[in-house]
Amino acid sequence: MKKTILLLIVVSLVAPMLFAAGQSEAADTNVIKLGVLAPLTGTNAEYGKGFEVGMQMAVDKINAAGGANGKTLELVVRDSKGDQKESSDLARQFADDMSIYAILGDFTSGCSMANAPIVDAAGLVQLSPTASNPNYAGMSPYTFSIMGRQDSEAPFFARYIIQKYLGLNKVGVIYINSDWGASSYSNFKAEADRIGLNIVSAVNYVQDEKDFSSLITKLRAANPEVVLILDQGAVPQIINQIRGTGWNVQLATLGPGTSEQLINLTGKNAEGLVLSTPFFFDEADADLMAWRKEFVSKAGFEPTIHPVCAYDTVYLIKAAIEASGSGEITRQTIRDNLAKVSITGVSGPLKFNEPGDLTREYMICAVENGKYVVKEGFDYAKQ
Amino acid sequence: MKIDPSMLKPSAIANSNTIKSTKSFILKYQVYFLIGSLLILSILPLFTNRSYILGVFCRIFLYSILAGALNTINGYSGQFCLGIAGFFCVGAYSEAILSTAAKMNFWIILPIAGIITALVGLLVALPTLKMQGIYLAIVTLGFSEIARLLALNWTSLTGGPMGIKGIPVPEIFGFALKTSRHFYYLYLVLAVIFLFVTSRVIRSRIGRAWMSIREDQLASKSLGVFTSRYKAINFMYGAFWAGIAGAMYAPYVRFIDSTYFTLDEGWNILSMVIIGGQGTLIGPIVGSVIVNYLTELLRPIGQWRMVAYALLIIVMMWWRPQGLAGASNSIVAVKGETRMRHRKVSRKEAQA
Repeated sequence: MKKTILLLIVVSLVAPMLFAAGQSEAADTNVIKLGVLAPLTGTNAEYGKGFEVGMQMAVDKINAAGGANGKTLELVVRDSKGDQKESSDLARQFADDMSIYAILGDFTSGCSMANAPIVDAAGLVQLSPTASNPNYAGMSPYTFSIMGRQDSEAPFFARYIIQKYLGLNKVGVIYINSDWGASSYSNFKAEADRIGLNIVSAVNYVQDEKDFSSLITKLRAANPEVVLILDQGAVPQIINQIRGTGWNVQLATLGPGTSEQLINLTGKNAEGLVLSTPFFFDEADADLMAWRKEFVSKAGFEPTIHPVCAYDTVYLIKAAIEASGSGEITRQTIRDNLAKVSITGVSGPLKFNEPGDLTREYMICAVENGKYVVKEGFDYAKQ
Repeated sequence: MKIDPSMLKPSAIANSNTIKSTKSFILKYQVYFLIGSLLILSILPLFTNRSYILGVFCRIFLYSILAGALNTINGYSGQFCLGIAGFFCVGAYSEAILSTAAKMNFWIILPIAGIITALVGLLVALPTLKMQGIYLAIVTLGFSEIARLLALNWTSLTGGPMGIKGIPVPEIFGFALKTSRHFYYLYLVLAVIFLFVTSRVIRSRIGRAWMSIREDQLASKSLGVFTSRYKAINFMYGAFWAGIAGAMYAPYVRFIDSTYFTLDEGWNILSMVIIGGQGTLIGPIVGSVIVNYLTELLRPIGQWRMVAYALLIIVMMWWRPQGLAGASNSIVAVKGETRMRHRKVSRKEAQA
């Protein structure tokens, strides 16, 4: 009995290894497989789900229209849990599997950066829809991101939203202390110093903070004319807690974009909120509304910019495949073409710069009567 | 320092018998097992170059050291440390900072990172020497978070939330260790060194003092063991190897930030010690193999993996509190209620 149990344990432990080692590497030449790394479980599960649904929508559409260069696209979705070690293991698995032509993901900058040396050694593209750490894309010729760099949005916010559009001078900033938050703030501050905007107080907090009252008290004591919130997840709570203290200051936020969830969670508190977004679900745009409707029916929740970017990454890969024409398609040709292609995706025009990320243009939105309204379009900065 | 068998519940005795015959079989041919498994491990990369498989092995070696370091604290001296991720963090950041900012050689940094972490371990140990059980556990838990938050907020030194990127890979005589295969051998060698050194330490005067503290601190003190000094040494030793593990890890991933060293990481390492076994050298290795294999094995079931871990830990605590390959002849093998009774009885005996 004891020996049987021992044997069973040994077999169950060794079996998956043998299985993994014995996997056939023969690839169907008419299918191009794309590895997807997404946090399907854990704190960022909602975004991972958005990735999966958004990318699958793109793949279904491309395949229904005859594929890329006549080849069918196929997604191989893996759950990275938002954990760097898991993500790296999966990236290695993709790197070993020669039928995988490119990796789409991961969601967080941390995971994407941890994978950079792996994809670099394997010569495999890792195209992240959302990694926003300014250091990420430059880590390897094979790393790309389409989130848009913070060194363009935050200065835009300082110069055109706060100084020009709102016409205010004294700013209080509350930001999340993450790679994204810190780089947004330092970019915002640099531009504010340049144009003479006065940052009267700046406070920060770490991920998963729930109670912001002490930070709000500190901000209020500095008496700013406008409070800028730099975060994605905690923006609704901060807005509610600011309004909960009876403080009726002008609010602005950089990060969540036009998130429906924000309005659902804040209700009347969000009235008058001003924000920047590279992308907006314009109700007058029938195609965009159809996209949104399809996403909601498949995912069960309203899309933010993240699944839209995820959707666009698939089209970027498609464009990179098609750019090879009748030539052979390899991991290397996908990388070389990806750096060159230029398409207009749902989230706007996409063309990579030298390090492998892109500079987006932004418009100004405000919340009026529980809805986002575009106040100024893409050309506001050019006027 | 053995516990009177009558203290144990009948079920515990039955369970320890179940494994006894297998164990004695392994012990009898211990040397052959050791040589055989080393031989297999050292030729394995010749058969496969799949970086995924070698990556899983690297993880097993790394966690064998981390869980082994924790085991010297929790398993051998019976202190309850929850802050191993903090030591891991200090070691990894020491390596990352010294190799990027000071451009030092990996082989020089490796022991330095270990020593820095050992000194941090001493700092944690000194104010907590008189603490035991849950109080010590909470302090070490706090330390772990402090280490992580320092890494997150000390921007000028640690890069703050941006982390440290571009950590150079180790070189041996101009030969850069870059691929998974190279790291496989580096990790294997360091894991073997760790096991060898620890096995010598455990059999030395120091190791025996640790075990006597684990079995009964009061009794060991009355027999002339300078308990607070040995407890401090114990923390430093565990911290040293956790620091070495951190210093091995930083150049492997080439980029670190504070999110690697959360409390979850600490629980992960602790679960390996609990599942694999406390108070033996082989225990944490067994734990590391099981937990890391399970991670791969159970990948298809997604979030249910966490449930499976939890069940495994509960079953283990209930079936074998000392862990699968833990020290059966020690106090870690005794369940909570019985252990309390044992402590009371032995204290009365000590007073008598």
